[in-house]
Amino acid sequence: MKVKAVAVLVALVLGAAAGTVLAQQKPENLVKQRQAVMTLQGKYFGPMAGMAQGKVPYNAEVVRRNAGFLDNLSRMPWDGFDPSTKDVKSNALPAVFTDQQKFKEASSRLETEANKLYEVSRSGDEGAVKNQIAAVGKACGSCHESFRQKQ
Amino acid sequence: MSFAKGPALAGLFILLISAAALAQGDAKRGEYLAKAGGCVGCHTDEAKGATRFAGGRALKTPFGTFYGPNITPHPQAGIGRWSEADFVRAMREGRRPDGAHYYPAFPYTSFTRIVDADLRDLWAYLRSLAPNNQASRPHELGFLYRWRFVLGIWKWLFFTAGPFVPEPAKSALVNRGAYLVTALGHCGECHTPRNFLGAVKSSRFLAGAKLGETAVPNITPTRLKNVSDAELKEVLRTGMTSDGDVLAESMAEVVRNTTSQLTEQDLDAVLAYLRSLPPLPDESK
Repeated sequence: MKVKAVAVLVALVLGAAAGTVLAQQKPENLVKQRQAVMTLQGKYFGPMAGMAQGKVPYNAEVVRRNAGFLDNLSRMPWDGFDPSTKDVKSNALPAVFTDQQKFKEASSRLETEANKLYEVSRSGDEGAVKNQIAAVGKACGSCHESFRQKQ
Repeated sequence: MSFAKGPALAGLFILLISAAALAQGDAKRGEYLAKAGGCVGCHTDEAKGATRFAGGRALKTPFGTFYGPNITPHPQAGIGRWSEADFVRAMREGRRPDGAHYYPAFPYTSFTRIVDADLRDLWAYLRSLAPNNQASRPHELGFLYRWRFVLGIWKWLFFTAGPFVPEPAKSALVNRGAYLVTALGHCGECHTPRNFLGAVKSSRFLAGAKLGETAVPNITPTRLKNVSDAELKEVLRTGMTSDGDVLAESMAEVVRNTTSQLTEQDLDAVLAYLRSLPPLPDESK
């Protein structure tokens, strides 16, 4: 019994410590990481957007793979917008931290659209996939509109 | 003598016909010009499936919210009762058919530069649209800005009417680009800073502006010198850079409605003109 209790206690303490370690990520690191996620989103979204615009030949295989990557990536940047990062120099606008409700909505929209793209990419209908690629692009753009410094 | 009369009369007749054809305006050309002018942006509601040119789009400004009116040829809801002269006066002078001034939210400050032949073609195109009965929504303006007669003073201070005149010292390409950017494209309405009365500062033309807390970029060579023509064209055609970055929605919309619709030559002209501008420093933060 006692051993078990100690084990639980140790686990709890370690868990808490792990949590603290995460929370104590240097703000500069959080910014670097979220920017890296955005860069990778671009890497995997770019070719799909090219296909939707007819610039590159459509390739269902590539879309399936990239849509899977993007689905996961779309959920990764947001914990990087921790309040501790608000003074770190980046293209994020103050609205990210002052209008959290709207930022949450905008980020959820990308997650939803990217997830839909993942689903649709498996159904194989080229037209529907292309439409959904455009929807993802709009989710990116509408969030950049309010929350990123214009480039 | 009399035998020369036949051909002379025929010649006169042909002249008259071609003059009539010119006066008619070419709706097909007008459609292209409407794209180059981005008319659809303010004159179409944002809601999905909204009728193009039937109005309804909100434009939020420090002076209040403006709603783009219906410009389909519906006699009551739209501009079906307008004459071509009414249209020309609206675009060139910023005046309604009843003589009242328009708010410069309607960018006649740029559209005044559109040349006569293009105005005729635009008018022919607008006449060819299907009439839509959606009523135009009244603007919601701050208390001080509701009197249109004040606009007369504003226009006297900040507005000069008159069509674009090419500069002979510059190439045809640069002049075409200047026309597309300053007249139809009305790029300066967002990319140039405004004074406290909402007039664009001409000395800071296209040097970037602050809209609320977000900054619209400088598009003079200061900013563009590090970007190749190929990259710029890619952005203006697709709304994306080659590394997959996506433009913010307000410019993405301009790309969809306007820049992606331009002919290769016109896009080249726009770039040539932008590259010919004096490089201005960014707005101070």
